[in-house]
Amino acid sequence: MRPVRALTLCGMAVFLLIVLVPFWWIASMSFKTYEQIQFATSIYVPNPFTWENYTGLWTETRFPLWLRNSLVTALVVTATTTVIASLGGYAVARLRFPGREAVASLILILYLVPPALLFIPLYRVLAELGATNHLSALFLSYPTFTVPFCTWLLIGFFKALPDELEEAALIDGAGRVTAFVRVLLPLAAPGLVASAIFAFTLSWNEFLYALVFIQDETATTVPVGLNLLIYGDVFHWGQLMAASVITTIPVVALYVFVHRWMVEGLVAGSVKG
Amino acid sequence: MRPRASLWKRAGIREAGTALLFLLPLLVLVVALIIYPVYRAVWLSLTDKLVGYPERFVGLANYIYLAEDDTFHAVIRNSFVFTIGSVGLKVVTGVLMALVLNNMIRGRNFFRGLFLLPWITSTVIIALTWRWMFDAFPGRGFFNSVLLDLGLLSRPIAFMATPEGAMMAVIVANWWRGFPFFGVSFLAGLQSIPREQYEAASVDGASAWRRFWHVTLPGLKHVMIVTTLLSFILTINDFNIVYVMTRGGPGTATQIFATYSYQVAFNQLRWGRGVTICLFVVPILVLGIILISRYLLRDRK
Repeated sequence: MRPVRALTLCGMAVFLLIVLVPFWWIASMSFKTYEQIQFATSIYVPNPFTWENYTGLWTETRFPLWLRNSLVTALVVTATTTVIASLGGYAVARLRFPGREAVASLILILYLVPPALLFIPLYRVLAELGATNHLSALFLSYPTFTVPFCTWLLIGFFKALPDELEEAALIDGAGRVTAFVRVLLPLAAPGLVASAIFAFTLSWNEFLYALVFIQDETATTVPVGLNLLIYGDVFHWGQLMAASVITTIPVVALYVFVHRWMVEGLVAGSVKG
Repeated sequence: MRPRASLWKRAGIREAGTALLFLLPLLVLVVALIIYPVYRAVWLSLTDKLVGYPERFVGLANYIYLAEDDTFHAVIRNSFVFTIGSVGLKVVTGVLMALVLNNMIRGRNFFRGLFLLPWITSTVIIALTWRWMFDAFPGRGFFNSVLLDLGLLSRPIAFMATPEGAMMAVIVANWWRGFPFFGVSFLAGLQSIPREQYEAASVDGASAWRRFWHVTLPGLKHVMIVTTLLSFILTINDFNIVYVMTRGGPGTATQIFATYSYQVAFNQLRWGRGVTICLFVVPILVLGIILISRYLLRDRK
């Protein structure tokens, strides 16, 4: 088994490099001065180390505003998605009604429809509602991809719960709604957390809809803002890298906290059987 | 289980109403913001809608125009090169990643989590990152810095300035974002292959390579088909990576469906034609969705 062990460790090293080098490249550039980047004086590590990109980003650009917009959007979308998806997921997984299979198929199909298919007609619909150029465009449009995904995920979680507890509640005279709120929701908590984090991450990272639906530079989110930083008059590489680091941190933090549930949810969506 | 049966029956009468109540928010969202826009998309594609002008019905003119348009032919070619290139790379590296992780007894979960980092990172940031990795200037471009320092290059290469280089760069960025998902899914697939199959193969004297070929790969077939189809659908409709890294350039060398649709709709302001470009992907999408649904809905039963 010796050669297998050696191959495994070599493979491990290669994958570590592939995954970590790009992160390190960006992070190290965010701590370099403009001159270090411009004249390639310290290529692999920041020398001297500086925070000037972070302070500059905070005081000279609209980044704080974009960050706030991204956060508000992600929180609103996560909340609405969790409510809609847990209600729908519960109904499909647990209730018996005609057309249940059809609804399950519809949710799967919608989960597979890529957002890029609908950005032009959605723009028109939102414009008619008077919702463009404002975060409300994102509150309305992001659930079109978060809800199908999270509902599909939660159907799996609700189906996996044992019938007995809910039946006991029903026998005790509780209605479906009470049984759902008191018994099933607490049991499905890991699934709800996974689904909420997926909704948050998808909203936090979304780019196309924000780019199309919001033209006002003060009303936009971080991904679009980053794109504005590149095509500005002056290249502020360091600030751009600092912004990338700051934007990545919340998602990574959430992820580190609950990655086991996320991986389970992720794998449950595509792998079974 | 008599009480259970009667309970279900009694509940069954009221359940359709309850179900409707629970599903109502979902159905409103789906009808208003997905199905209605789809209908609008189809209608728009039959008009010559220009921003600022009322739409006029033109029948299939947009479809016919695109079918004969050389730029659109290039877009179709690019989309397939981009998609097949990056999905192919993801499958190969995904299998390798799964095998490596599967052989790591200690720290497997930790490394699985670590390797998934690219997958949770914003695609815009990934696109920016790889734009700098491939930058022509040594202080910013990782590959140029390393190759120059190793003495493998005498002058920096402007990767992103050539059609092939730009296509390679967007494929690599998309691959980097996507391969961890493949690796983690394949790892789950590997762990569901019964040990007995390997033991039986060993007893029969099969070499490691033959065990991989005759036990591992067939065992992964199902997961591979689902992840590949899923990734194919998402990649052929990708927008972020190409838009941020190249804007479809140089020329039209990396222009793909979604970026071209965006350009036609929002730079040339031809919405009818822009929508039509997206609708050209629908047959591929429908085929993919039918195939995946068959696999996934079968799993759920």
